[in-house]
Amino acid sequence: MMTLIKKLLSFLLKLVLIAVAGTALLFVVYFFNLDMKLTAAMEPLLTWFYDNKVKRDQHL
Amino acid sequence: MKDENRIGTQNLGSLYTNGRVRSRREWRGIVDTAYDFSRWLHNWITMFRVVLVKPRNIKAMFRYRWMASYLAVPMMIDRHTQGLRNEHLRICHEEQDLIVEDVAKLLDKLFRGDRRIGNDREFSSKVVLVDENEMQSVMMGFPTVVPLSREIASTYIPVLLNQRAALHYIDVAQEYGLAGDVCPMPEAEAGVSIDDDAPVLGCCAVQCNTTCDGSLMGNSVISKRLELEDGIPVFQLATPLRHREDDVQEYAAQEIRNAIAFIEEHTGEKWDWTHYFECAKRVNYATKCRLEWLEINRTDYPQVFGSNLALYTETNYMAISGRLKVFEDADRKITALAEKAFKKKRMAANEYRHRAIIWGVQSHYYMDFLVWLLNCWGIVPLTDMLSMVNTRMIAETDTPENREQAIYDIAWLTENMIMRNRTHGGYKVLLDELWEFVEEFNADMVILWEHMSCKALDGMHGMFEEKAREKGIHLVWVSHDLFDPRVISRQGVRDQINSYMRTVMNEEPVDPSLEILNDVESW
Repeated sequence: MMTLIKKLLSFLLKLVLIAVAGTALLFVVYFFNLDMKLTAAMEPLLTWFYDNKVKRDQHL
Repeated sequence: MKDENRIGTQNLGSLYTNGRVRSRREWRGIVDTAYDFSRWLHNWITMFRVVLVKPRNIKAMFRYRWMASYLAVPMMIDRHTQGLRNEHLRICHEEQDLIVEDVAKLLDKLFRGDRRIGNDREFSSKVVLVDENEMQSVMMGFPTVVPLSREIASTYIPVLLNQRAALHYIDVAQEYGLAGDVCPMPEAEAGVSIDDDAPVLGCCAVQCNTTCDGSLMGNSVISKRLELEDGIPVFQLATPLRHREDDVQEYAAQEIRNAIAFIEEHTGEKWDWTHYFECAKRVNYATKCRLEWLEINRTDYPQVFGSNLALYTETNYMAISGRLKVFEDADRKITALAEKAFKKKRMAANEYRHRAIIWGVQSHYYMDFLVWLLNCWGIVPLTDMLSMVNTRMIAETDTPENREQAIYDIAWLTENMIMRNRTHGGYKVLLDELWEFVEEFNADMVILWEHMSCKALDGMHGMFEEKAREKGIHLVWVSHDLFDPRVISRQGVRDQINSYMRTVMNEEPVDPSLEILNDVESW
């Protein structure tokens, strides 16, 4: 019984540690605006794609 | 009035870079930063849950040029929450996060029905396309019909997100010979259609004659493609412009009856009075809340103002029109937050120096200008022209008399669509009522947007100046070109205020770091 409780506690501790580490990591992304810096880097690639790879029936 | 205890609201300009995005997000103290972080996370989860998790939406991302602007959603929220703390921050998130979810659902539905992407024909057969300036009150009695605006998704929202989002489409329209001196908003919408960059779906479409020559031109280009190439019939809802005149109301009501009959014919659905009156109750509740916010803004401690008032009113009043209960819930929460903040005498910035009414059609590529006015110069934007819409309660009980009245109410709401209720309708609604609001709100300043391509307002320039002089009100003209920052940049917009405040008012900025910003390349 004690072993089971210990295993459960150990599992919960790991879960809490993973949640705390995940939140800390996300907070770093949030605070240093890393999400927007990444999407800003994606913009020229998308623009190149729209200019060169998408066929359009452009007319009035 | 000053509040020196706010955390981290000095030197907001230091967060700007010369590139697309800011160097980092604001530190707002532990509680407010944690709250803002939680909302940031919530919005990313919403975008993944509604849009990014579905392969068809990713396919759309690689098909439509305007979709690239949606990369900037979190930054748009950061721009509008700049400097906000406590209840004001929560009010802003209550609104913006709901708008993010609503727009995410709009995109998802557009691509679900789009013949090029999802091609769900059954769904598409219940979709009615409505143009960007269409009051959706005409859809209040159709619970099973899906009204979707392609223009909101492809031009209106992208320019809020990215100041240069419409430039490609403006250029395309002009390359095909459309005039360069019309409003760049309908011009960009026409450009999207010409560029073959609009989703194709729906069983029919309704366009409204709002609000100018450019709008009519844009609609004609779009409807030609819809009707002649895509096989989607279009109804032209020709709403009277002299909307304060009694003798136009019968005609306006008949137009609504015709529009309803058109939608019934093409969707196979019948107008549902029970649903209509449920929506009407929510429209009235939204009006009641807005009036309460405006009442608070007449005091020394305004609470729902600036961007918090403008952007939300546009969405809730025009695009929602009582159709969604979540907006009623948001109205309730915002009102509770505003009352709480008012009791605590909360301020939304370090210092309030001037009380201003914002008039005219605002710069769309610089929608967060109102936040800048507050943080840089302590000018409180109490209300704006586009938020001063209908204040009349509409019939909300289902009786035979009210069913007849309801048609007139829908017509009234459509005539009083945002912008057209002031830019059309005569001298009184544009000019006289401004000075009434100045007195009611105890304002000492009017910031008058001069949208260079808006002929509806340009003709009254001299009359505004004459009256401001007579009343001793500071009138500051701010020129812009709505969707096109190449004509007047964001700094060009700011410089007009900076010059007035330094030379006429002889004042120094509250936050000097915001006076000159290099944000030409910014989203």
